[in-house]
Amino acid sequence: MSTTKQHREENWNALGDDAFRRAVRAFIEERYPAELRFLPFRPPWRELKPWVMLLVEKGWSAPNWPVKYGGMGLSPGKLLIFIDEQERWGVARAPDHGIVQVGPMLIQFGSEEQKRNVLPGMRTFETIWCQGYSEPGSGSDLASLVTEAVADGDHFVINGRKIWTSFALDATHTYLLARTDRKAKQQEGITFFLVDLSLPGAARRGIKNIAGATEYCEMVFDGVRVHRSNIVGELNKGWTVAKSVLNFERLNSGSPRRAQFAFERLRALAQERGVLGEPDFRKRYTELRLDLADLKAVYAYFADQVKRGQPLGADVSILKVMSTELNQRITEFMLETAGDLGLVAAGERGDIGRVDALTPFLDSRGRTIGAGTSEIHRNVVAKRVLGLPAA
Amino acid sequence: MSGTTDIPESEPAERAERISMLRESAGRFCAAGEHVKRSRKLRGSVPGFDREVWKQMAGMGWTGILIPGRFGGLGLGSMEMAAVAESLGRYLLPEPLVASTMLGAGAILYGENETIKKKILPAVVSGDVIPALAWREAGHNGDILAASAQAVSSREGIRLSGRKHLVVGGMEADGFVVSARNDHGLCLYWVPGEAATAGLAPVELADGRSAATLDLSGLRVPGENRIAGPGRAEEALSRAFDEALFATSAELLGVISSAFAITLDYLKTRKQFGKLIGCYQALQHRAVDLYAAEVTCRCALDEVLAEAGAPDIRAQPRGALASRIKARCSRASLVVTREAVQLHGAIGISDECDIGLFLKRAITLSAWLGGADFHRARYAELADEEAAHA
Repeated sequence: MSTTKQHREENWNALGDDAFRRAVRAFIEERYPAELRFLPFRPPWRELKPWVMLLVEKGWSAPNWPVKYGGMGLSPGKLLIFIDEQERWGVARAPDHGIVQVGPMLIQFGSEEQKRNVLPGMRTFETIWCQGYSEPGSGSDLASLVTEAVADGDHFVINGRKIWTSFALDATHTYLLARTDRKAKQQEGITFFLVDLSLPGAARRGIKNIAGATEYCEMVFDGVRVHRSNIVGELNKGWTVAKSVLNFERLNSGSPRRAQFAFERLRALAQERGVLGEPDFRKRYTELRLDLADLKAVYAYFADQVKRGQPLGADVSILKVMSTELNQRITEFMLETAGDLGLVAAGERGDIGRVDALTPFLDSRGRTIGAGTSEIHRNVVAKRVLGLPAA
Repeated sequence: MSGTTDIPESEPAERAERISMLRESAGRFCAAGEHVKRSRKLRGSVPGFDREVWKQMAGMGWTGILIPGRFGGLGLGSMEMAAVAESLGRYLLPEPLVASTMLGAGAILYGENETIKKKILPAVVSGDVIPALAWREAGHNGDILAASAQAVSSREGIRLSGRKHLVVGGMEADGFVVSARNDHGLCLYWVPGEAATAGLAPVELADGRSAATLDLSGLRVPGENRIAGPGRAEEALSRAFDEALFATSAELLGVISSAFAITLDYLKTRKQFGKLIGCYQALQHRAVDLYAAEVTCRCALDEVLAEAGAPDIRAQPRGALASRIKARCSRASLVVTREAVQLHGAIGISDECDIGLFLKRAITLSAWLGGADFHRARYAELADEEAAHA
């Protein structure tokens, strides 16, 4: 088994970039379900699962992991191509927190036992992971979280609530931050736990979002007993683990793909409405088109650093701000372009128009809030990049 | 096209090294000259720049960056020119290097008159001849190919008529490339400086520099002064125009970069309510947006120059890239310099504060050769033609 995988890694990274790109593209174009392309929302797991299982079967479900853990062991450059090809084809995002977040954290901070026990199921999507960070009272100010884990023999007893958890209804497990030392300074008394959501006392409730989708949830932990072997890293050092968000995730959260999708939808809508040639429309459309082209140049600049294996600086925050705000400007214009069709609820358009202007608009609202609000990212850049003083 | 620059076939790493050396030496030269002070002093004067500094720039090779080695130039590309032009903007040099060498010399270089190339281009490189391009006319909305000046052939040569506006560098030019129409179409002519003197009048620009209005009536040039005939004239003008757009975008990036740096420094030194004003979130967030605008210009410029540097790039994609970057830098320079004035408070609107000089240079350069709206429209047109072609 390990010999074949070793063989695979050599193949992928030894392939020329173009050959690798062709291989990825061929597979995606042949096997990805046409009805799931370029969706303006995350599809339910049951719809996406057959595709993800194809990836698992092919050994492509964890492109970023080292080969010895069952990943593809791709170099940063190859990984960017892998992601790029999926975006190009409009492949929907799987509930991939295990792959992109927890897996790499475990590989860096986890015990051998954790790696052995947890990584295989994560890779095959037998376990699906969601993030237990935000709380009702702790959003941007995450370090103020109050969910508590109290030691009781070899176990910790967890009590508290987590909210705005993406994919939680599909998830089997969560990685969560809980306070284990109330006396320590805020960030120092927090521990990182892996929690099986089928344990007694763990409950979930879907929250319908502004676009009408149940994409995120609230999780309640009422005396959930977790064995201490589920702590990742050291006790009270969970903040360090959580902060180790990798280059790729930071780059990915600023990817221009949503703005690109939105722009393509805007074009389709304009065609449908016959306004592509109208001077007023064309002027604003071209402005957005160029904003998108130049945003991609900024993305390419940061992607190039990742490709060369350089750690990204705090300046990458501007990418997330710009991408999500451009996405909003495009969807706002789309809603205006839709005219009175924009007032029709999504899914109710019937025969008056095919392109849904409402869902992308509503979906885009949350993108400047999740994964750090635009305001928090601006604070970060102001202090850490521009060196502006604290208040 | 003959007259194509001869960029050495070098490895990308070597080229990057050469560009960074050019950037550094340009930065050193420009930083040493107290040019902001000089620009301030020269405001409103004619021609508004120093021939002495021009000679020094020629000594550095800057007047011949795109001119091939066979005419004595460096034979380099737009990337190298951009590295120098950025410093011109950053330190606010008043010399019309881009106007003269990208447009004036460029039109000659991409034309078809070898005799004039051999005579004029080496003198441009040495700094002895400052050429200017006279293309702009009233009522033509910025289209560089839309001349209605007339060129009529007679036994005494070619008689020109019409009026050219906003000839940047024109008041000190030693010769003009003039666009005019004959019966067959658009042509370019070389008009020596002494012949044009009578028709020249200065016009002051927003940044205190001067340009010229050139009245062509009564001007005669011999037939051999034709630089390019119909077809070739359009090609030459378009190419020179695009190269000037790349260089001006880089110059604007320099303006943006300085204006932002000066403003950031101000936010870290000015105190109100007992605190540095840079500690207030409202101002911090505005500063971040200006920073993002600068980064966007820089990333876009690098990308555009790399794509435009492809060998044998055709006119349409090149024009689309040039318009894309001029639209970006024009818009961003106005936003950044306007915001810079606001963030300075009252001192920002005093004449003694340098930030206003950057605002005015941004106004001038962003409007020159077309602003954001003009270039967005041009981009859309060229990119769509390109898509139809593909």
